[in-house]
This record gives sequence, structure tokens and C-alpha cells, in this order.
Amino acid sequence: MSLASPHYSAWALLRARLAGSGYWKPLWTGRALKNHYDVVIVGAGGHGLATAYHLARDHGIQRIAVLEKRLVGYGNVGRNTTIVRSNYLLPENHYFYEDALRRWGTLSRDLNYNVMYSPRGVVDLAVSDDEVPALARRGNALRLAGIDAELLDVAALERRYPEIAPRRARRFPLAAALVQARGGTVRHDAVAWGYARAASALGVDIIEDCEVTGVRVQAEVAQGVETNRGYVRAERILFATAGHTGMIGTLLGVPLPIETHLLQAMVSEPIKPFLHTVMVSVFPGHGETYISQSDRGGLVMGGHLDGFPSYTREGTWDRMQDVVEGAVDLFPQLGGVKIVRQWAGTNDMTMDGSPIIDRLRYNNVFLNAGWCYGGFKTIPASGAACATLVATGTAPDLIKGYALSRFASGHLLDEPGRGPFPVRL
Amino acid sequence: MTVLSCPFCGVRELSEFEFHKTLPNAGDDPLSATYFRINRVDDSQEYWQHVRGCRAWLQVRRNPSTGQVLEMILLGTRT
Repeated sequence: MSLASPHYSAWALLRARLAGSGYWKPLWTGRALKNHYDVVIVGAGGHGLATAYHLARDHGIQRIAVLEKRLVGYGNVGRNTTIVRSNYLLPENHYFYEDALRRWGTLSRDLNYNVMYSPRGVVDLAVSDDEVPALARRGNALRLAGIDAELLDVAALERRYPEIAPRRARRFPLAAALVQARGGTVRHDAVAWGYARAASALGVDIIEDCEVTGVRVQAEVAQGVETNRGYVRAERILFATAGHTGMIGTLLGVPLPIETHLLQAMVSEPIKPFLHTVMVSVFPGHGETYISQSDRGGLVMGGHLDGFPSYTREGTWDRMQDVVEGAVDLFPQLGGVKIVRQWAGTNDMTMDGSPIIDRLRYNNVFLNAGWCYGGFKTIPASGAACATLVATGTAPDLIKGYALSRFASGHLLDEPGRGPFPVRL
Repeated sequence: MTVLSCPFCGVRELSEFEFHKTLPNAGDDPLSATYFRINRVDDSQEYWQHVRGCRAWLQVRRNPSTGQVLEMILLGTRT
């Protein structure tokens, strides 16, 4: 580790105490932008930083820059509802997300930074008998793949999570629940900061306030990127710009199977601990609510997309109302609790709901995008796999299904099976 | 963006309308039309429907960065 950030340990605490002020340094250093890199990564969010970290750690690439238009962690890595899980139906997805979930378990140690992984369980609720077979099918698919999943009836659910026992008759009575006990939450900002610190310590240049405005190409090979701080030569370029991937398509002149939509989240005033897991409930024809309680006591909630393409990062009132109604329907005792903050992130929604990790137009340009509303939970797996693709030029098996060519060949990974419409409810 | 203006019904709440899809990418081949989108930050051409009103299909041009509606007309009436 470099001088910028000492290794965190009990010893470091003691040393810091003895040294007085000035012991703790910034997590990553403000290095100057150089004019030539082996790999330039555009976007200092979770995926960009994790890829930089793995490129430096696993593949020994020396000269890496992560260019960020605003601030580290300003985008979706700091705007999500911090939920991690791997209970996806399709094999291409559940193995990949499972790889991520396993990595979350050891990430704090790997990064020497506490990301506060809390395996408190993720509970998918069914509110009608018709939904139970779908939950059972997903649970069976997961168990066949060696991933934990448990289908609980209402009595077992209420025994395990007494907070869900009804205080009064529900508008949508519960029918069953699918539980993934190893799912849970991770402190989202800590993920961005932890990866930025670890990558910086390995020599990665993290350049904030640096917007990429163009790509210079010669003879069908990308030469480098134009930025607001001048031209930067790059042997390879990776775009990990999440909600702004549409702009990258415009920049390179390639249409992408992506629409940009808003997903909002909100948090209540802090209350005493009462919710000990993550509850997810889809109310057919009404909306969706997922809710968990943060360590500070606030209830973190989210739901469906707002419903139309937008880059505004404001959420609509109607969707906020849906989410809160769902939460109060699940937990009527929350009726008097106030929402104190609400925000939205831009989501790169692909036409089948699964991500894209592939080359983009040129042989040395790569794209890590299309995470829809599920990008946060995959960060450690995406970083490792994407780094392998960028470093070796070959996609590891885990992400072979995420090639852009699937939209031409028809091998779509349409998890909910609703066709090429990101927002059809 | 909290209200939209329907050519028949006038200014109505956003919740009365439903977005359907963005116009397919330039080019008529079925692949582009089904999966690929233009997705510009400042100009989006979309199909909407006034589902909780007159049910008219609408062609909308919006600026997705600001939410400003540039044009909202009945589908198929552009001259």
C-alpha cells in the first residue's frame, strides 16, 4: 500500500492515536492525468473502479486511469438501495450473480475496507396463489444450481420474521415467500470508496471532474479519448457509464439495445430496529415495494421504474406514492413514519433486462453496461470478469451470455419473459 | 414533468398517460426496430397512450434531460 492510505488494522488505530492528527490520509490520491495509459476506464462508479482494481491486481496492468465526469460514486453506486442477492432464474444470470454474492462475503478483507456486508436475508413475497408456482420454480432452479433458496408458507414466514405478522387485515394477504438467507445489504458508498482506495493503492489514477467527449479512431482502431482536460492516448478503452451509456452509443455512432429510465429510492426518518431482513413485494397491477432498514434506522425503499425514458434524476410523485403504499400495506404500523429523502438514478435498461459486457464497435473498445436496476449487487463479479475480458481479450465463461450479439442471434436473457420493453409492468 | 397535454383532452396528469416505447432506430430492419434505440440525452421520440383518458395513441417528442415536451400529436397525423 502506498503512503496515501495506510493499511487498516487495530495496529493502525493504535498508531493513529499515538501519532495524533495527520495520520489518516485521503482514501485515494489526486494524481495528475497522464497522456498515455494501457487502459482508460470511463466512469468511476462501482463497475469501473472494480474493473480497474482487478486489472491492476489480477492482470498486473500498470498504467490504468479511471476518468470520471463528476465525483467518485456520484452515480448509481451511491443511489441504489444496497441490496445484494443471487436469486435469479436463468442459469447465465444465477451463476454470475452467485459469483458476486460469494465475493461480497470476503470483499471487506480483500479491499481492507469494511463494506458492511450484512447477510440478513432477502424475502420475496407472493401476494396471490398464482405467484407461488413462479416462486417455487425459481427456487427449484436455484437449488439445482447449488444456490440457497427456501420456499416458506405463511406460518413459517411469520415464525421466522415476526415483523411481517399482520397487525390488521391486508389488502393483499400473503401467500408464500421465497427466501435467500445469504442475500442482504452492503453499504453502497463504502463499495465505491473501498474500491477507489484499493485501486489507487495499486497505482490506478482516479481522475475526477474529467469528462470524455470523444474517441479518436485511426484505421478502425481506437487511439485514445478526448476529454475536457485534453487528449489521452489509450491502448484499450472501457466504458462503464451506467445510465449514460446511451451517450456512449451516440459518441461511437452505434445504436444500443438500451433505453435510459429512472428508478427512484427513498428513506424514512430513523426508527427503532424492527425489520430484520429485506422484503420484496410485487402487487400485481399496482406496483412493487422493496424495503429494508438501514443501520441508522431509516427504512430504505424502492419500487418499479418511473415508466418513461429520462435523464433528469428526479422521480415522479406517482411512483413514490406506489412504493410508500406498498410499504404501508406490508407494515401498517409504518403509516405515521415520514419520508425524509427521495432521489433517483438513471438506469441503462436493456431490452431483455440483462447486462452487456462485450467489445463495442472496435476491437480495443469495451462496454460494461445494461445493468438495468441490478448493477450494484454484481459489482465484484463484474469487475473481475470484465477485467479478464479487457486484459486478455477473451470473455470468461461467466459472462459469455452477456455478449451484445445475443440481440442478433436471439439468445436473449429475458428474466421476467416480457419481451423487448423495459417498463411493461 | 407532472402533466402532459393530450391533443383531445388538454392538460392532464402524467399518471393518466402510459409510455409505450421509443421510436426504433433509423433503419427498418426488424432487428433494429425490435431491440435497438437511439437513446439521445436531449431528444427522444416516443409512443405514448392516454390510457386513463381518451385512449388515443400519441407521438411525443421530449427532452429526456429536462422533461420538456417538444411535441405531442396524435399518432400518424404528422404531415
